[in-house]
Amino acid sequence: MAIKFAGDFAVKRTPEEVHDFLIDPSRFAALLPDFQGLSVQDSTHFTVKVKVGISHIKGTAEVKMELEHAERPTRAHYKGQGSVAGGNVALTATFDLSPLELDGGTKVAWQGEAQVFGRLASVAGGLLEPLGKKQIQKLIDGLQGALR
Amino acid sequence: MSKKDGSKNWVGQPLPRKEENRLLRGRGKFADDIKLREMLYLRFVRSPYAHAKIVSVDVSTAEALAGVAATLTGAEIAAQTQPFIEIAPDPGGKIKDYPLAISKVRYQGEPVVALVAESPSLADDAAELVQIEYDALDPVVDAESALTDKSILHDEAGTNRVWNGVFEYGDVDKAFREAAYVVDIDRMHFHRFSSTPLENNVVIAQWNPKDDRIYFECNNSFPSFAIQFLSAHLGVHIDRIRVETFDIGGSFGIKITNYPQMAVCALASKKAGGRPVKWVETRSEHITSSAHGNERTFRDTRVALDKNGVITGLVSRHIDDCGAYPRYEPLGCVIWSQVFPGVYRFKNARIDFTQAVTNKCPVGPNRGYSRMQHLWFLERVIDICGHELGIPTDEIRLRNYIRPEEFPYTTPNGCVYDSGNYPQMLQLAKERIGWDEWKKKQIAACSEGRLIGIGIGTTLDSGTNNFGQAQIVNPGAPFSGNSQGANCKLDIYGEVVVSVGSCPQGQGHETTAAQVVADVLNIHPDRITVRTGFDTERNVHTGFSGTYASQFAVSGLSAVHGAAQKLKTEMSRLAAFLLEAKEDDLEFSTGEQGPEIRAASTGKAVNYWGLANIVNVNSAVLPPELYELTLNCRYIWRAPFKVPDKQKKYGSLTLTYASQLHIAVIEIERDTFIPRILDYVAIDDCGTVINPPIVEGQVYGATAHGIGAALMENCVYDAVGNMLTSTFSDYTPITAMNMPKVKYDHIETPSPHSYSGAKGMGEGGAAPIHTISAALQDALFASGIIIDDSFNNADSLFRAMTAKEISQADNLVKVERRV
Repeated sequence: MAIKFAGDFAVKRTPEEVHDFLIDPSRFAALLPDFQGLSVQDSTHFTVKVKVGISHIKGTAEVKMELEHAERPTRAHYKGQGSVAGGNVALTATFDLSPLELDGGTKVAWQGEAQVFGRLASVAGGLLEPLGKKQIQKLIDGLQGALR
Repeated sequence: MSKKDGSKNWVGQPLPRKEENRLLRGRGKFADDIKLREMLYLRFVRSPYAHAKIVSVDVSTAEALAGVAATLTGAEIAAQTQPFIEIAPDPGGKIKDYPLAISKVRYQGEPVVALVAESPSLADDAAELVQIEYDALDPVVDAESALTDKSILHDEAGTNRVWNGVFEYGDVDKAFREAAYVVDIDRMHFHRFSSTPLENNVVIAQWNPKDDRIYFECNNSFPSFAIQFLSAHLGVHIDRIRVETFDIGGSFGIKITNYPQMAVCALASKKAGGRPVKWVETRSEHITSSAHGNERTFRDTRVALDKNGVITGLVSRHIDDCGAYPRYEPLGCVIWSQVFPGVYRFKNARIDFTQAVTNKCPVGPNRGYSRMQHLWFLERVIDICGHELGIPTDEIRLRNYIRPEEFPYTTPNGCVYDSGNYPQMLQLAKERIGWDEWKKKQIAACSEGRLIGIGIGTTLDSGTNNFGQAQIVNPGAPFSGNSQGANCKLDIYGEVVVSVGSCPQGQGHETTAAQVVADVLNIHPDRITVRTGFDTERNVHTGFSGTYASQFAVSGLSAVHGAAQKLKTEMSRLAAFLLEAKEDDLEFSTGEQGPEIRAASTGKAVNYWGLANIVNVNSAVLPPELYELTLNCRYIWRAPFKVPDKQKKYGSLTLTYASQLHIAVIEIERDTFIPRILDYVAIDDCGTVINPPIVEGQVYGATAHGIGAALMENCVYDAVGNMLTSTFSDYTPITAMNMPKVKYDHIETPSPHSYSGAKGMGEGGAAPIHTISAALQDALFASGIIIDDSFNNADSLFRAMTAKEISQADNLVKVERRV
């Protein structure tokens, strides 16, 4: 089951500042909804734990992330893989940054896809997309707040 | 209860089921009722992926949990077993099937690790601790894509194609050359659904180190098949495997294929030091990973018809989806051909049949197995031709039905339909539903903008297989014919005890077997004890024993009848000696001291206790010439089959052909697109009826199953192979709340192929699926919509009716008119 998400927002920080924030998991990971923990392996690999739950299916998702591509100050691309509630998730997320001419800020265009496998998709497939989009919006709101 | 209508026979009487007293009071014995000392409980860790490489499996944390007795991985199993036997020749024969995944997973829900613990909840906890790393591969979720071999499931086979064969009979080219009409149908699809027995799969296994034997207590519904697979897989002589079954809460065929789980339980028991291991399947496990029915796609169908709408030729290409592992397949590649022409007379046909593996749950012989897909296809063909040519759907059937005077009827591929009268069934169905009245109501409703359709489904329930058809798909397969065993005895106190190698799941075998023996011995059926439940060690059985394929009325009861006849012969010889009478002077009857044999000329009698006493505990009075009497008579009934012609794919594949004709009246609600059944009639012909309420009950059951399949039950997978209908809230099996009132009636055309005239029944031929598709077609044809899928709920009808390109008649069907 694939959940696709995309959008953009604007912040007043420079593209360099935004890029530095987005490639530093110790700064942005806590913004993930229901964040539980982070362990950083090296400059491009880290693992986040978040609580996930739909109805009676509850658990902790442990997602191994890799900063697969970073081009300061225009792009950051992540891919990740994790397990949750007897299932697995594979995801990609890309942030494309461009300067805003008017106020020196940055336009952040984001897009991604989460592919959910297993029990979670089977049992709660119909709920995953709206729930996923709600959580993504929380994350984006958090990012906007942090980069204000 | 006494006989009704002055009948001489118990067969045919509406006897209440002997089983009901036990089952309705909750006194049945099911596998999960069994609790053994030191029993462990097994859980599977299953794959979340439909297709992935297994990178690593780490069970160390789970094994360290207190209360966990053992874990088992695919690699451990591969090291000590052989892959399960494959029925297919190469390339399908190269597939290596183990009960746990080894290096790859091939469907979501495939077992990867098994754990056994002191309690079910501990086993659940331990399962959460198993770490498995996967590397996802491209999944293949439909059979047509699978045949491109872009992503291959079984590398050792080198292709996703399991089997291909062309079934061609008559002169197809001539039929098309001379046709008045040629109808082309691009694509039709029979959906994937399953069965939802009240009782899921249950296995208790103990690999006992004391005697090195394996004991299974389970609900497998074809144990004699299972032990052949298990013996070869486990490397254990078949006589060292004991399988017992008890009451079974429904199977519908899909419990035939729980032998992989039986193997895992046995191996887990062995690793746990011989402690018994119980596995009780959860409902979600059952829906996602037990067995589904075959999904089939019908491509490039061409139909030749004469100027009267009589089908003269048919060509088509059929692609069957058997899921990730063939298991009981590719028998389905040939079993459909038991009903090659359906109920119709066409002689010229060519069907190119291919089966493919996909990243979905393996299939099993689900009720109506393999034939229902083909019969649905033929019923769609007849309906589409009727609508396109403007011939009423009842009329085009009458023009094409095999005629009553043509029975026994030999089909183009050599099957012999024993008896039937399809026009009479149609006439009776039309009378019972009020055909003419509904036609008037339909016209009136149409003028109000309502959508009402009236559909007919004529179908067959072929019973008592010739297993020689396995040789059509694999000439090396060591199976042919069919047999069943039964034992009938007078025990030490003169009680009549019957045992038979079937494992009933609600079909009333205790009752019908008692009726048959009661007629032979002229006693009341209540005086007969029938031992059901399979036991490889104690009950008589053959390699075909089990309960499947609509055959008990023929194979099981023929064996029971034979055993009872042998017992009667022995009893007569013994009574003649004791009563100093001639055997032809003896009468079997019931006297003041119970069942007895009386000499008509002298009036002297001996009761059953007296007979049994002489043979069992008072044998010194027997003369030597009667030493051979045991009053314990075993009889093996064998079906009179020959091995089919493997090259021509020709021969008798089944012994009896019960038939069903259903009519449904359905309205599609304009606002909600919900199809509602307004009226429904089911006519059945299973030859001589042995017990009317049992037959009627099975007709209702099969009808419910078919209505559920047609309108509610669908195994839906997403593009990456997640099964999206893994709970009852999504799979929505039919319940009493959704079941319409069904008018039932029957005719009897006795079979010349069984001793009693009865035909096997119970699968029902999926008549409601054909019938509901036909009714929806009737409602929507004027809107330019062809029903090209066997599953139609409000959602699919909404899509079809609001976006006609999904099944636009002009795109799907083309008609060439040459007259």
